[in-house]
Amino acid sequence: MSTKAIVLYASVVLFGLLVGNASALWMSGLIGKFSAASFANINIANWTSDRSIGAVSANPYTRARVARHGLLALVKEEAIYFTRSVDDSGEQLQERCTYVLSGKRQKAFWWSVTLYDSESRLPMNDDLALSIDATTIGERGEWTAIIAPTPPAGGHWISSRAAGRFDLTLRLYQPEADLVEFPEVWLAPPRIQKIKCEAAA
Amino acid sequence: MKRIVAPIFVLLASILTGHFVTLHMTPVAIMKNAIERLEERGVALHEFNLAPRTTPQTQTVVRPSPDLVYSICPFDLSGNQVLAVRVGPYDDYSSVSFFDIRTNNFATVRIDVGGDPASGSEIVLRAPGRAALDPLMFSGPQIEAPTRRGLILIRRLAPTQAAYHEVVSTAADDSCSLLIL
Repeated sequence: MSTKAIVLYASVVLFGLLVGNASALWMSGLIGKFSAASFANINIANWTSDRSIGAVSANPYTRARVARHGLLALVKEEAIYFTRSVDDSGEQLQERCTYVLSGKRQKAFWWSVTLYDSESRLPMNDDLALSIDATTIGERGEWTAIIAPTPPAGGHWISSRAAGRFDLTLRLYQPEADLVEFPEVWLAPPRIQKIKCEAAA
Repeated sequence: MKRIVAPIFVLLASILTGHFVTLHMTPVAIMKNAIERLEERGVALHEFNLAPRTTPQTQTVVRPSPDLVYSICPFDLSGNQVLAVRVGPYDDYSSVSFFDIRTNNFATVRIDVGGDPASGSEIVLRAPGRAALDPLMFSGPQIEAPTRRGLILIRRLAPTQAAYHEVVSTAADDSCSLLIL
């Protein structure tokens, strides 16, 4: 084989490996503008989830994505995670807007709703108001909370200060068997109603 | 025509190889990176380390719950060992979950709320391929790890500072240590 041919094949192999590498990272959501909610096989009122999170049966794309956006997530029999990044009108959740989050009791031992920024991190504020959970809400069947960058006059509050574009994760720990089996039927998906938005900076 | 068939074949084979090797290695790389970051923070092998209360300033993994408290124990059973895991009793939700180096949650054990406070819960984790221990000698749950390295994580529900203080107290009874047989 001539030197020219060796250089050609080496270049082809290198280029092919780079393309394969990039396509794998893109298809599993590790590069590109994908949110944690971009990949799912369940969508209930824009709350999305993947039945195979944490499981050995998860396909390699799901496994790579969960490793990036939800490392150490539990299997669905112990916890179900739903993520939502849009309000009831289908628009991206963002810090400059105020929302009313409302929901009902869930069929699980414990549940919570937590706010994360676009890097899947808790936003860097010191408001100590990044989630609401079943213990906060108590035994009431129906509940509401305000999502805003500043605290409301009263009631439950989830702070979006320093979050930019954000999403919410609904955790359901020790879900009841029928919720695990038929989430489309038994999940009570919280609503997210936009109240107002400040002008974009 | 023949001159371009071979390079195209090599290109396609390289793309597929790069794609699937990356796909297979990514979770392993992310998990190894997480374990290395824990080691840099002083988290030792075969020891539970109770994390501070989760806040934006203390978060170390993606999407932590500020309502849960995490205790983590990295394990390495390369010597075909057996690990004994003990979880201190707690009066609210707690569980211990096991993750292999590929990020699979291969086992989770729920800890009874209000269980016998004297006993806690004991679980055995065996190296891959290692035979089960005699149940007369060890009656708790026994789990075979799919990979030699991984992480064990205790989650406890503690949405308030007062509850976190309770976790600190009970976590003193957590242990994750190699069994000498």
